[in-house]
Amino acid sequence: MKVAYIFATQRHNVSYVLAKMILPQLEEGRHGAEVIGMFFFEDNNFVLVDGNPIGARLVKVAQEKNILLMGCDQCCYEREIADRLFAGVPIGCFPDLYKALSGNPPDQVITL
Amino acid sequence: MEGGCCGTTPRRSVSDYLDRGLRRNRAGLRAVRGVVCRDRNDLSAHFSGDLVADTIRSIGFKVSPCATLLAYCEMLAELATGRSPTAAWNLTAADLAASLPEVPPPKRDRAILAVAALHSLLLHADQLAIAGETP
Repeated sequence: MKVAYIFATQRHNVSYVLAKMILPQLEEGRHGAEVIGMFFFEDNNFVLVDGNPIGARLVKVAQEKNILLMGCDQCCYEREIADRLFAGVPIGCFPDLYKALSGNPPDQVITL
Repeated sequence: MEGGCCGTTPRRSVSDYLDRGLRRNRAGLRAVRGVVCRDRNDLSAHFSGDLVADTIRSIGFKVSPCATLLAYCEMLAELATGRSPTAAWNLTAADLAASLPEVPPPKRDRAILAVAALHSLLLHADQLAIAGETP
């Protein structure tokens, strides 16, 4: 099964669900689903800022497994981090996300 | 241009231009209108304005809901207002890109669309001025 994750809420999702569940499982190849993409809203975008240690691991595994990472453009502009993301990580909105995923669409989109 | 909170100077970030651009985008078009311009991303921009005595008194636009495009268009509208059409013509996409360096390079082509839409308006404004139809 192919999935895409949308990190939409700001409780404990990046530091816990992503960093301590999804990311280690991806690194070990035992997540149980093929992750196609991850899209980040609001403060979750800070994980994509170059130098973030969780983001560095995420970018590495994304490159290895061809996972799309994309930050919400308005969220990044508002936080003035649009020009500080890891190299190759784009920003965009729904049309950009759908277009990027259209060639290899997920079976499920999971909002966290 | 709107003032900042409590009389402070308006910010010059993409996000601030976007906030003002969203409001201008909903406000409707003005009397003199250019043509609808489109780019390869299927984004569109349509500028309009009011001229008084060879001065751009106000600018309106209707553009696709893309954050970067809205920010560039709002910046152009604020810069062009109060200038003559000739002076506004000299505003370039490179100027916009340089003024908002936080826009990632793949998104900077929105500045070209914004300037094309403004130029279209200015061409129409110039025609009206020559014909003596400027209010």
